Amino acid sequence: MTELVLKDVSRRYGTALAIDGINLSVTDGEFLTLLGPSGCGKSTTLSTIAGLDQPTGGRISFGEQVLVDAASGTFLPPEARGFGVVFQSYALWPHLSVEDNVGMALKLRKVPAAERRARIAQALELVELGSLAKRYPGELSGGQQQRVALARAIVFRPPLLLLDEPLSNLDAQLRQQARIWLKDIQQELGLTTIYVTHDQDEALAMSDRIVVMRGGKIVQLGTPQEIYRDPIHPFAASFIGNANLLAVTGSATSHVGPCDVTLGDGQVVRARTPLADLSAGAQLLAIRPHLIRCVPTDDASEIKVEFGPESYLGDHFEQEAHVAGSTIRLSIDTPQPRGAGRIWVRAQDAVVFGVDG
Amino acid sequence: MTYATLSDRASRGGGVQRSFDRARLAQWLIFIVTAALMLAPALPILLQVFVDRPLYADGWQFTLSNIGDIVQSERIGRIALTTGIFALFSVIIAEVLGIGAALLIGRTDLPGRQIMGDVLMWPLYLSHLIFALGWVVMYGPSGFVTQTIAQQTDGAPWNLYSIAGMSLVAGISQAPLAYLYCLYGAVRSVDSTLESAARTVGAGPLQVLRRVTLPLMVPSIITSSALNLVIAVETLSIPLFLARPARIDTLSTFLYAEGIAASNPNHGLVAASSLLLMLLVGSALVVQRILLRQGHRYETVKGKGSRPMVLSLGTLRWPLALLTGLILLVAVVVPIAGILLRAFTSFLSPLVPFTKVLTLANFEHLFGNPANLRAIGNTVQISLLSAALGTVLAVAVALVIQRSSFKFAGTLEALAYSPRVIPGMITGLGIFYAAIILPPMGWLRGNIGIMVVAYVMATLPLALGVIQPAIVQIGRDLDKAARTVGADWVSSMRLIMVPLLKPALLGSFILLFVFHLKSYIIAIFLIAPGLEIMGVTMLSLWTNGDVGELAAFATLQIVMIAVLLILSRLLFKVKIYD
Repeated sequence: MTELVLKDVSRRYGTALAIDGINLSVTDGEFLTLLGPSGCGKSTTLSTIAGLDQPTGGRISFGEQVLVDAASGTFLPPEARGFGVVFQSYALWPHLSVEDNVGMALKLRKVPAAERRARIAQALELVELGSLAKRYPGELSGGQQQRVALARAIVFRPPLLLLDEPLSNLDAQLRQQARIWLKDIQQELGLTTIYVTHDQDEALAMSDRIVVMRGGKIVQLGTPQEIYRDPIHPFAASFIGNANLLAVTGSATSHVGPCDVTLGDGQVVRARTPLADLSAGAQLLAIRPHLIRCVPTDDASEIKVEFGPESYLGDHFEQEAHVAGSTIRLSIDTPQPRGAGRIWVRAQDAVVFGVDG
Repeated sequence: MTYATLSDRASRGGGVQRSFDRARLAQWLIFIVTAALMLAPALPILLQVFVDRPLYADGWQFTLSNIGDIVQSERIGRIALTTGIFALFSVIIAEVLGIGAALLIGRTDLPGRQIMGDVLMWPLYLSHLIFALGWVVMYGPSGFVTQTIAQQTDGAPWNLYSIAGMSLVAGISQAPLAYLYCLYGAVRSVDSTLESAARTVGAGPLQVLRRVTLPLMVPSIITSSALNLVIAVETLSIPLFLARPARIDTLSTFLYAEGIAASNPNHGLVAASSLLLMLLVGSALVVQRILLRQGHRYETVKGKGSRPMVLSLGTLRWPLALLTGLILLVAVVVPIAGILLRAFTSFLSPLVPFTKVLTLANFEHLFGNPANLRAIGNTVQISLLSAALGTVLAVAVALVIQRSSFKFAGTLEALAYSPRVIPGMITGLGIFYAAIILPPMGWLRGNIGIMVVAYVMATLPLALGVIQPAIVQIGRDLDKAARTVGADWVSSMRLIMVPLLKPALLGSFILLFVFHLKSYIIAIFLIAPGLEIMGVTMLSLWTNGDVGELAAFATLQIVMIAVLLILSRLLFKVKIYD
C-alpha cells in the first residue's frame, strides 16, 4: 500500500501561519477532498504535497519515500515526485498544441516517439478530446481546457492526482457534468486523488472522505455522510448544510447524547451533543434550516419566534425568524405570516457544541 | 477503455530523478557571471582612487592625495557646480516638454497627434552626438539659421555655446524619455473610471487633468527625472560640442580631457572625479527612492480595456497644434535636416546657394578612409554580439530573480541594476583598468571582446527593463505546471518561459542593438588602433574639425537606425520603447 502521510505539516509566511500542524493519511485509490473557505489553507496543503511549496514544519511521506521533512531539511522537488497536478487556472502552455502540452511529461521522461504518440492519443481519448490534438489552448473553450489539463496530469500515470479547484472556472451546468465525468475517470483509473474545493456540493458528491479545514487547521475528517449528519464542530455544521448557529447556555456533560440548553430569552431546547467533554456555560446550538418545522411534531421542542421577511427560491421559500436577539433562516414550503409565531425542532436535529475554536 | 487499471499500478512512472542539482548549478553560474561582470570595473576604479600612480605603472603606493586634490581643487568644485546646474535645467526642460506632450498627444483631440508623437521620439533613437551636431550646424554661432537671422538683425540672436544652450539641447533630446514614462506610466494606463468619477462629482475636463491625471503622473515624473538626471550628468557630446568652445567644463568633459586628450593622463584624479560623478548619480537615485516610498498613494487599479477619455480642446485645437508642430519643427526636424544638408554640401551658409556647394565629397572622404570602414564593421559586429549576449544574460538573470528560489536573488537584482549608478564613461574606464590588472581579462585587450564585455554590463538594466515586465505577464502556474510533469528548473525555464518570452527577447535584442550602434561614451577609454567604433570616430572627427565628414557619418548612422527600426516594426511587429 502506498499511503500518503502528512505529519504535523505547517507553513509559515512571516508571522502568518497558512497551515498549522496538519495530520492526514490518504490511502491507495481514495478520493479525498480538502474543503473549506478561501484562506483556510487547503490550497497550501495541496502545494506542499505537490512540492510547489515547502512546509516550514512537519513531514510528508509517500509509501517508503520521504517527500519533505523540515527537521532533516529533506525536500524532494516537484519534478522528482511525479504527481499529476491540475491547476485552478489550468496552466496550459499557450505556445504548445494540445498534444504537445499533454506529451511534455513523456518527452521529459524520454519516452520513445511511437509510444509517446500512442499514450497521448490514449489520454486524449480518455478525456474525449482526440479530435482536438492539433489545436492550441487559446482555441479551446473553458471546459475543453480543463480536460486537456487533466489529460496532461494523468498521461504519465502518476501514483497520485492533485486537483486544485479544477471546476471553479466552469459555469454551473458544465460543472455538474464535469463532476460526474471526473469521478468516473478517477474510479476507472483507480487513481488516488486529492481534491481541493470550496464547494460543499462538489465535496459531498465526489469524495470518499472529506477534510473540513478552517484557519489552517483540520476541523473534521470523515465520509460525506458523517460530515453532513454528525458534524463535530460548529464550523463544519455551518459550512456544510448552512446550519443556523445560536448562542445558548447549558450545563456540563461528560458523554455524547441528549442534553438541554437555554436560549438567551430563557426558552429551553432539548438537544443532543456529539462531544463527550462539553463544559458548562456558553455553548452553540446548530440547527439546519430545512429541519425546522412550523407544525407541532413529536419529540420536538417548541420555540417562540418572530417571523421576518421571506424570499422565494423556486422550489422552496427561505424565511427569516428572530429569536433571543439572533436571526435564524428557515427553509420551508409555505411562508409563515410575519410577526409572532412558533417553530418546532426535534432533539436529534438540534446539535450542541462548545464555543471554543 | 484500457487506459490504465489497478493491475498496472506497478508500472506507473514516478518522478524524474536527476543525479545532480542542475538548477542550483545554473543559478550560481548566472550569479557569479553577473557579479564578476558588475564588480570587475568598479573595484579597479576604487583601487585607482587610493593609488599614487596609474595602475599599469610599477611600484604604486596607497595614498589619499587624489581625494585631497579633488576636495581642495577650486576648479573641480566649479566644474561640479556647472554639471549640477546643467543637469538641473536640462531635466526641467525635458520634464516640462515631456509632460506637456504626454497630456496633449495622449489625451486630447490635437490634430496630427500621432505623427507629432512619432517625431518627438527621434532624439531618443539618435545619439546625443548626432543631435548636438544638428543643433551646432543650424543654431551654433556660425550655424545656418543663426547666420540667416544675424544678416537681417545685425548681430547674433542667441548664444548656443552657453550653459543655457546646452541645457536646452540636452532637455529636448531627453524629452522623449519623460514623454514615454508619463504616457505609458500614467496617461495611457490610468483607469478611466478614476477620471469619470471626478467628472461625476463636478470637475470639468481641465480640472480632471489638473486634479486627478497630473497627480497620478507623479511617480512617472520622478522616475523619468532621476533617469534624465543621470543621463545629463554623464552626457559628453553635448557639453563637448557646446560648452568647450566657451571654455565651460562639466565633469564629463573634464574626464575626457584629463583621461583621453591629455598627453599624460592623471589617472588618480580621473578615478577620483569618476567617484564624484558616481556619488552625484547615486544620490539622485537615492532621492528618487525616498520620493517613491509613498508609491501606494499613486497606485491605480488598472481597469480592463478601459478607454482613456479624450479631452476636447475646442477652439484651441488648431492654435495648439500649430504651436506644438512649430516647436517640433524647430527643435527636432530642423537640426536633423541640417545634418543631412551639411553631409551633402561642402559649406553651409545662407550667403551661398545650395546648388553651388552640393557635393558627395564628404561621403568619399568617409568611405575612403579604411579606419572609418573598420569602425563601421567593428560597430556592427560589437553591437550584434553585445545585443545577443546581453539579451541572453538579461533573461537568465531575470528568470533567477523572478522565477527561482535562489537564496541570493535579491543581491543578484541589486548587482544587475548597479550599472544604472555608473555612468557609461566610467564603465569603460573601469573595464580598461580591469583589463590591466586582472589577469583573466587581459586576453580581452586589443579585440572587440573588451567592448562587448563593457556594453553587456552597461546595458544590462536596459535589457532587464524590457524582459522583467514581460515575465510578470506570464502566470506562475505555467512554470509550476512544468515542474509537476517532470521538468527541473532549468528545463521549465527553457521549455516554457523562454519560448513565451520570445517577443520580449526580440524587443530587448533590437533595443540593445540600436543602443550599441549609436553608443560612444562607453567605448571612449577602450578604443585602440584597429579597434575603432563609429561613435568614437565621430567624436574625433569633431575634435579635428572635419564637420562635413562627421555629418556624412551621422547621416549614415541615422539611415542605419531608421532602416533597422522600420524593418523591426514591419517584420517582427516590434516597437521598441513601448
